[in-house]
Amino acid sequence: MIAIGKADTQPAWCPGCGNYHILKVLREVLATGSVDVKKLVLVSGIGQAAKLPHNIAVSVFNGLHGRALPAATGIKIANHELEVAIFSGDGDMYGEGGNHFLHNLRRNIGVKVFVHNNQVYGLTKGQASPTSDIGFVTSVQIHGQKLQPINPLAIAIVEECSFVARSFSGEPEHLKQMMLAAFAHRGGMALVDILQPCVSFNHTNTFKWYKDRVKPIPSDHDCHDKMKALELALRWGDEIPIGIFYKGTRKSYEADNEVLANGTLVGNYLNQPGEGKK
Amino acid sequence: MDINIRIAGEAGQGLVVVGNMLVAAAAAAGLEVFSGKSYMSRIRGGLNWCDLRFADQRLSGLKERPDLLLALNETALELLREHAAPEAVILLDGKEERPQVLTVDFTGIAGQNGGTAIMGNTVAAGTIWGMLKYPLGFLEDFLRKEFAGRDEIIAKNLACAAAGYQKGLTQQTKLTAPQPVHAPASVTTGAAMIGLAAATSGVKFVTAYPMTPGTAVLNWLAAAADRYGIVVEQAEDEIAAVNMLCGAVYAGVPAMTTTSGGGFALMAEGLALAGMMELPILILLAQRPGPATGMPTRTAQEDLKFAINAGHGEFCRIVYAPGTHQQCHDLTRIALETAHRFQVPALMLTDQYLQDAETNIAMPDSGYQPIDRGLVEGEPEGYLRYADSPNGVSPRAIPGHGVAVVSDSDEHDEAGHLTEDFSVRIRQHDKRLRKNAGLLESFIMPEVYGPADADIALVCWGSTYGACREYVDAMNSGGGKFAMIHFTQLWPLPGDRLKPLLERPRRLIVVEGNAAGQFRALLREVGLSREISGVNRYDGLPITVEFLTAEVKP
Repeated sequence: MIAIGKADTQPAWCPGCGNYHILKVLREVLATGSVDVKKLVLVSGIGQAAKLPHNIAVSVFNGLHGRALPAATGIKIANHELEVAIFSGDGDMYGEGGNHFLHNLRRNIGVKVFVHNNQVYGLTKGQASPTSDIGFVTSVQIHGQKLQPINPLAIAIVEECSFVARSFSGEPEHLKQMMLAAFAHRGGMALVDILQPCVSFNHTNTFKWYKDRVKPIPSDHDCHDKMKALELALRWGDEIPIGIFYKGTRKSYEADNEVLANGTLVGNYLNQPGEGKK
Repeated sequence: MDINIRIAGEAGQGLVVVGNMLVAAAAAAGLEVFSGKSYMSRIRGGLNWCDLRFADQRLSGLKERPDLLLALNETALELLREHAAPEAVILLDGKEERPQVLTVDFTGIAGQNGGTAIMGNTVAAGTIWGMLKYPLGFLEDFLRKEFAGRDEIIAKNLACAAAGYQKGLTQQTKLTAPQPVHAPASVTTGAAMIGLAAATSGVKFVTAYPMTPGTAVLNWLAAAADRYGIVVEQAEDEIAAVNMLCGAVYAGVPAMTTTSGGGFALMAEGLALAGMMELPILILLAQRPGPATGMPTRTAQEDLKFAINAGHGEFCRIVYAPGTHQQCHDLTRIALETAHRFQVPALMLTDQYLQDAETNIAMPDSGYQPIDRGLVEGEPEGYLRYADSPNGVSPRAIPGHGVAVVSDSDEHDEAGHLTEDFSVRIRQHDKRLRKNAGLLESFIMPEVYGPADADIALVCWGSTYGACREYVDAMNSGGGKFAMIHFTQLWPLPGDRLKPLLERPRRLIVVEGNAAGQFRALLREVGLSREISGVNRYDGLPITVEFLTAEVKP
């Protein structure tokens, strides 16, 4: 009885916001039938990106700011047959949730993490985010941002995250391919960092700014080559690579867990311990 | 009658090993046993001790003054001697003779009997066992079991135990040992009883950041995880732990975390999330003295008001505090059941003392009996996760089983989607808070021990049960008319139902392990206006019968 469609809610985003494109592409991805929507749970924290799940009529856990990853991890551990996908922003995932981001890369549980990265805080109206470039002037960083930006892709590659990709909301076909690949991935955590303009609060990293710089990773890139992937991830400026950077070969949390080998925790709840499927 | 033994030394000297040997042997012999640990926050050095109480009647607490002190070093002798009972026997490890001290070279005796230096511990246990004149066989059985499969080590330990035993037997002391009474042979801790109840009640996911003294439950559950099919995940911090908990419970499995005050402070926002999403999470809060890092390895009852008030906004919760090992077990199950019945978070307050305290009890059933999660059947048409209802409890479905389940930390409508509609806000807030009536109805009335028309009543909660009960017994046997009123449910409190009980005694004294008199204040808050006095301990040590004898002014 779950239909892919609009939930009865009105988006709270500005006209021209990249979130609309991401939502549209997600709908297209779900329309392909490649994701079992009955098993889909969309998880989010707080921020403009985190409001996205309310626009799709599936199971939703819209939790606390920065805490999408631990909540998604709990859901996936309780029932690893669910498809658990996070929609988060750069502040939510890399700032408030930074510690969880770091440690879930280590945990490598099979949740799909889509980060709407617009390099600015939208919901709180325009302060620097962890990915803001140095020199970015805001109402708080009045002399310009002085902190080194987070490089989420490089960090993910160093920790051997099992799927690391970047896309751009202004390249819907590319984004669709990245989303489909992330959903199809079965080896553990998948990170897709999605560059996205914020039309209200980021007048530096505009749609045109990204459009002029994003460049697909060459098709001959070996995504199992960690050092090459890292080298690509460190590129930022006149040219910003998009595509799949890296695929790790570590076992996923759920595949490597002795108890989950007997079936899902939810599925075995009523069974006497030890009677689950082997 | 009972005897109190204190074994003291520095961390790493093996005093816990000696204690464990004696506790196991005493329980096997059929003595009533109660033991506790007092240790510093360090792995080596310092001054630690464990107390062992053997008796011919039921014990539910420790005593402060040992009848027999075994000092494994000079510091232990110097610092603890003055706290021993007036006629106490003092044993000192070493070669140096002291007045009124029985010096025994445990390590030397171990060496003379083919043992290694570490087997000095076995000699010490044997010596004490011999002084108490219990049959050596119970100690030997423990050693055979402990070192099963390592025959050479067993043989050496048996020789050391026998040598110590002879040494003990030949000492002329005034010690009188209680006689065995067929008490249960199974020894357990408060932490183990909580773990066992969680595992048998259907807790399938446990996540925590290790924090003393909560960790003992985490360790127990980790050891039992494969047997009961539980996933135990060490969280990167307590914020992760409580949010993982919320996710797992949303997805359909009972789940719990263990922590102490500082960790619980980090969980406050997640607790509010469980309140908003109506998720029946269970948090075990094992208290220690605060504020901040406080005294990490000591005991306290300082987090009562914090537990009741933690989390922003207004939402329902239940707070329990067991006082005995059996209550540790029973309340864990009740907490899970009640939390699921009302879809509210539950907290259990224990403390270092109760977590670590060991006693022998008839072990409850270890079979798996999962609690009713209260889930809706099938795929109801037009399902609304937060549908309004007379008792505030909405139909609960879990994701992946047919209907979409939408939960939001924002205020939400009946479907679970975020809303800023003022009237919806009021309806949902009222719906959530309405559950308090049901929680009050299911309130567990306090246990009254002693005469119903008692003149003086000691009101207590949680781990002070044993000390208060023993104090009441002592006073009543001396002709007093005392009672204990022991609370295991601390929130919500039905003031109207409690009033008749609490207004009857001439004097009401609230005994608790904090300075502020938190439970006393709580009783005032729910409408008790009579005069209440307080006896408070907050030095980091447990409340004992001796403490009450000194501090209660009848």
